Amino acid sequence: MKTLLTMALGSFLLAVVIAVMAVLMVSGWGRLPIDRADWTMLAVGLGASVWALLLVGCLLTARVCEAVSTYADRLGASEPSALPRTPIWMRSLMRALSRVQQTVQQRESTWRTRVRDLEIRERIADADRARAESVLGVMREAVIVTNAFDEIVYANEAAGHLLKFDAGDSARRALGDVVADTGLCRLISETREASCGLRQIDHVIEGGDEPVCCVAMLSTLKDSTDEVSSVVTVLHDMTREREIAQLKSEFVSKASHELRTPLSSVQAYVEMLVDGEADDEASRQEFYGIIQAETERLSRLVDNMLNISRIEAGIVRVDRDAVDFEGLIDRAVQTLEPQAREKRISIHRELAPVDLHAVGDVDMLYQVVVNLVSNAIKYTPEGGRVTISADSDHLERCVHVSVADTGLGVPPDDVDRIFEKFYRIENYKRVAKGTGLGLNLCRQIIETLHGGQIGLESRLGLGSRFWFTVPMSLESEREPEAKAVAA
Amino acid sequence: MSARILVVDDESHILHVLTLKLQKAGYEVITAGDGEEGLHVALAESPDLIITDLQMPYMTGVDLCRALAGRPGTAAVPVIILTARGYALSEEDLGIGNIREVVSKPFSPRLLIQMVQSLLEAGSTTRKAKAA
Repeated sequence: MKTLLTMALGSFLLAVVIAVMAVLMVSGWGRLPIDRADWTMLAVGLGASVWALLLVGCLLTARVCEAVSTYADRLGASEPSALPRTPIWMRSLMRALSRVQQTVQQRESTWRTRVRDLEIRERIADADRARAESVLGVMREAVIVTNAFDEIVYANEAAGHLLKFDAGDSARRALGDVVADTGLCRLISETREASCGLRQIDHVIEGGDEPVCCVAMLSTLKDSTDEVSSVVTVLHDMTREREIAQLKSEFVSKASHELRTPLSSVQAYVEMLVDGEADDEASRQEFYGIIQAETERLSRLVDNMLNISRIEAGIVRVDRDAVDFEGLIDRAVQTLEPQAREKRISIHRELAPVDLHAVGDVDMLYQVVVNLVSNAIKYTPEGGRVTISADSDHLERCVHVSVADTGLGVPPDDVDRIFEKFYRIENYKRVAKGTGLGLNLCRQIIETLHGGQIGLESRLGLGSRFWFTVPMSLESEREPEAKAVAA
Repeated sequence: MSARILVVDDESHILHVLTLKLQKAGYEVITAGDGEEGLHVALAESPDLIITDLQMPYMTGVDLCRALAGRPGTAAVPVIILTARGYALSEEDLGIGNIREVVSKPFSPRLLIQMVQSLLEAGSTTRKAKAA
C-alpha cells in the first residue's frame, strides 16, 4: 500500500512537471516553433498525468472500499462501529449504510429477544412434556396418543403391557403396525374421522392369554385450523374391578346365607312361643335355649365378620407385647378341656424346653390357638387325640406352634381353600357347626397382623396338623441386628 | 288319613321346629338331614309333599328335585324349597321337577303351614277331578 502510494505520488509529481513544461511550451507557442519533440513531450506529460490521476483514483477507491468493507464486516459481526472517514462524495452512501446499520441492529435485537423467548418456551415445553410423560408413565391406565395419520405420537408403559408392544419403540410408527388389536385401531380411526369429542366405550382386548375387559375413553384434539390433530385413547382395565365386585357379591351372598340360617331358627321358635305352641314349661325352656344358642351363633358370626373386615381395612389396633406361648397354650387347653372331655378326646402338650416368647397381641394369638384346638376337637371322632406342640426356630427367629389331631382330615381338593372366608367342607357340615370364618380370622391375625405364616398338612381319614409361626421380634427390631451382623 | 310330609334340612333346629309345627297342624312328618338321605326317604316313604333346604351336604335341594323328577313314584310330589341364598335359584332351576314354591329364610312357620295346606288341597282337587 505504502509502495503504491509512493509510486502514485511520484507519478503525480512527474505528471505535474511534464504538465508545467507543456504549459510553458504552449504559452510560448507562436514565439518558438513547435517541433516534434515538443509534441512528444506534451503527449508524454498528458499520458503521465492521466495515468497518475487514474492511479490516485484507484488507490482512493481501494482505500474507501477497504474502509466500507471493514465497516460492513463489523456490521456483519454485530460489532459496534463508528462510520469510517470517507471522502465527501461518499458521505451519502455512508449515511445510508449507517441507517442500514441501525435497522439491522434493531432487527437483530428483536430477533435476539424472540430467540430467547423461544428458547425459554422450548425449555418450558420440554419440562411440561417430561412431566406429562412421567405422569402418564406411572398411570395404571393405558394411554396412546395418535396423530392425524394414525401414527403413534406417545404410548405409555401400561399401553405396551396391555396391548403387548414395546412402548419405547412405538413413536412415529403406524398404529396398525404396532397394535395387534384391530378393533381398537378401528375405534381410534373412527373417532378421528368422526371428530366426535369424547367417547366412552366398553372394549374387549383380544389376542392375549385371555380377553381383557376395558373401558376405552377416546378424545380428539384439534389444531388452529379446527382439524383433528390427534386422538388421545385411555384404556382402563376393568378386570380387577370386576373381580372385586364379584368377590364382594360372593361375600355378601355368603354372609347373608350364614346370617339367615340362625335367624331362621330364632324367628321360627319365637313365632312358636308367640302363638302359644310350646305346650309346657319344658318345651318353652327348650325353645329359649335354642333361641339363645342361635343368637350367640349370630353374635359370633357378626363379631368374626367385623374383626376380619377391620383387619383387612387396617384399622385394628394390635397391642404388641412379649407373648409366652407356654402360658398361652396352657390357658387354651384349660378352656377347651371340658369340650374335649365330652367326646373323650385327650389333649396333649409337647412344648420344647426353650424360650417360647414372641412379640404379638396376646389376646389375638390366644384366639388363634383356641380356634385351632376347638376345630381339632370338633372334627375328631370320640376317643381321639389332639396334640399341641410349640418350638422355637432360631434360624428363622420365630416361634412355631402346631395343633395335630386324629380326626377326619381335609380332602386334598379343599386344602387350598380351607382358609377362605365362609369356606366349609361341604360334607363335614353335618359333623360340626361353624361360621366358616374362624380359619380365615386365624390367617388374618397371623399373616396380616403378625407377619407370620399359617398352613396345614392333612391326610384324609387320618388327621390334620394346622401350624403357624410368629416372629420372635418385630421387623423393625430385627433390622439393627442384621446390620450389626453385617458390620 | 293325614298327609305325609318330608322335611329335608341339615339344620337340626329347623327340622325340629318344622316337625313340631307340622305335627301340630295334623300332618305326619318324616325328616332327613341332607339331600341324599332325603332322596332315600322320599323313595321309601312316598310323601305327599316335600319341604327341602336348598344348600345341603352331599346333594343340594335342586339336585334332590332333579332326582325326584326322574322317578315315576316321586315326579309329581310338590316341593317347597327353603333358601337362605335369596335369589340363588335361576329360572332353569325353578323349572326342574315339581318345585311349587320357594321360601326365603328366615321364614314364618305359620305362613309355611298355610302354603303346605294350600298345595295339598290343590293337589287333592286335581286328583279328584282326574278320578271324576
